[in-house]
Amino acid sequence: MSNPNAASIKEQNKSAASSLLKKNIRKFLNNKLAVFGLVVVVVMTLACIIGAVMGVDYATPDLTNMKAAPEAGHIFGTDTIGRDLLARVLIGGCYSILIGVFCAVLSSVIGAALGAIAGYFGGWVDSVIVRISEIFQAFPQLVLVMMLVAILNQRGLGNLLFIFVVTGWMTTFRMVRNEFMSLKNETYVKVCEAFGMKRSNIMFKQILPNVMSPIIVSTTTNVAFFILQEASLSFIGLGVADSTPTWGNILNAAKSVSVVTNQWWIWVFPGLAISLFVLAINFFGDGLRDVLDPKQQ
Amino acid sequence: MLKFILKKLLLMIPMLLVISLIVFFGLQATGIDPINFMLSPEQLSASPEVVEQLREELGLNDPLIVQYFNWLGNMLHGDFGYSITDGTSIASTLAVRMPYTLELAGYSLVLSAIIGIGIGIISAIRQNGIIDYIGRVLAVLGQAVPQFLVGIILIQIFSIKLGIFPAANRVSPDATNAFVDAFMHLFLPVTTLTIGMVAVLMRYARNTMLDVLNSDYIKTARSKGIPEWKVYLKHGFRNAMKPVLVILMFRIPTLIGGSVVVESVFSYPGIGMTMTNAIVANDYNVVMVTTLIIAATMLVCSFMVDVLNAIMDPRVRLGE
Repeated sequence: MSNPNAASIKEQNKSAASSLLKKNIRKFLNNKLAVFGLVVVVVMTLACIIGAVMGVDYATPDLTNMKAAPEAGHIFGTDTIGRDLLARVLIGGCYSILIGVFCAVLSSVIGAALGAIAGYFGGWVDSVIVRISEIFQAFPQLVLVMMLVAILNQRGLGNLLFIFVVTGWMTTFRMVRNEFMSLKNETYVKVCEAFGMKRSNIMFKQILPNVMSPIIVSTTTNVAFFILQEASLSFIGLGVADSTPTWGNILNAAKSVSVVTNQWWIWVFPGLAISLFVLAINFFGDGLRDVLDPKQQ
Repeated sequence: MLKFILKKLLLMIPMLLVISLIVFFGLQATGIDPINFMLSPEQLSASPEVVEQLREELGLNDPLIVQYFNWLGNMLHGDFGYSITDGTSIASTLAVRMPYTLELAGYSLVLSAIIGIGIGIISAIRQNGIIDYIGRVLAVLGQAVPQFLVGIILIQIFSIKLGIFPAANRVSPDATNAFVDAFMHLFLPVTTLTIGMVAVLMRYARNTMLDVLNSDYIKTARSKGIPEWKVYLKHGFRNAMKPVLVILMFRIPTLIGGSVVVESVFSYPGIGMTMTNAIVANDYNVVMVTTLIIAATMLVCSFMVDVLNAIMDPRVRLGE
């Protein structure tokens, strides 16, 4: 007897959800900057991946053709030891985007998990985790990263990813913790508790979905943050080793005044690539925020 | 209030201790042996007993925990130890370089506060006007273009093409007027740092001011016939500034981090440059001291933010 009713409610929910999705997509498409951002991000990522799949040669120096200005053979010119810059920017893009996405996602996961635990349980668990995050935040992040570089004493991609994740979870943590602290007093949480539902279930299956929107938005903008962070670190010479190109790494050549003066293409192209990508991610993130998280505008 | 300040001050001590522990033991774990920097390989292999004696004298044979407390005790006496790579006293290096970094960061902080808040408020008052528009473009660009790239572009334009400002260093050897010399060397690095800071501050100041201008007491003030400029300055500005000042203080870590990068771009001999070079050279004595100094600065800043917050908003004090 109750079956047809239940089915129709389910149906209704489904259609409501899909119309909400449609509405959100329409809202997003109306935001021209956000669409521009999405298009740029997708196009640049695809270009880099296609470059990597085609196996463009980014490592072999062309010794007869060092510091060559852009021309037909090398559209972006060549770098200080004659490697093709277009290939390096493409492959460097793969690494930079990988670093940005990987670190943003992983640090969000860690931040969200710790934030959920601290916010839900409160008490001494909360104060211990908050103290730890405060110690991390006592350092400017770049300095913290530099200190870890000194401790690990090696400049590899793996180490860099590890360092960024370890130092990057605090903002998500604070946000999720605050949300949990207010949500844990909601009626639906109390009901779940009264039913004797497992705590991990309540935390991650019942409360967390309500915090997802701000987490998604901050993960998106964090991609840009980590790409910039990697670029700064590589620029001052503490990032990934030169054999692995990244956008920041290529720009490291611009530390020499003679390169800045005479070979504009060595720093203009990778610089443009970073700036354009970061700009696009920021636009995209702002658009997402408008759609997913109206109260945070 | 006094109790609140005292509590915050006392909390700083364990924080600093924990940080110094992490820094010390973390860097000990790298396994770098300072003896290798002090003696040549020949000396090392020729006379093991001399090496052993040197180790004993330097206290390198003591248990780590004893070494830690010795190091901490020396730091408290103002004895920061010696650089492993070139043997200079770290205290004397820092005495020269610390003020340079403070200059760089301090001027940028003041300038970005004036410019950021100024543009932010004008954009809020004249919404969608020309300054609002320029401000928005600047804010977007300032957040997307990496700081070091801004520095490179400024060098390219002002040092190389126009030749107005020097591209590196802090003092010229042939300087006649110390003030003019300082200005010339500081202009580009300070501008670079300021551009990054202004971007965020401007947006924030604009939004807070807009919130305030839409509030009821502004309408009341207007309806009383108070002149428009007085409404903005006395009623709007004052109330909008509290959150903006807090954000400004919160940006200080970013400022210090930024100055590390900017110092590297402009070969500016400050703390950041010292630390970068020390890491590259594995000079862990210097790395330990510089990180600790930066952490201490940060703690003092966050202490000031807390106190400032408590002064402006009594709820913070009562909540603690």
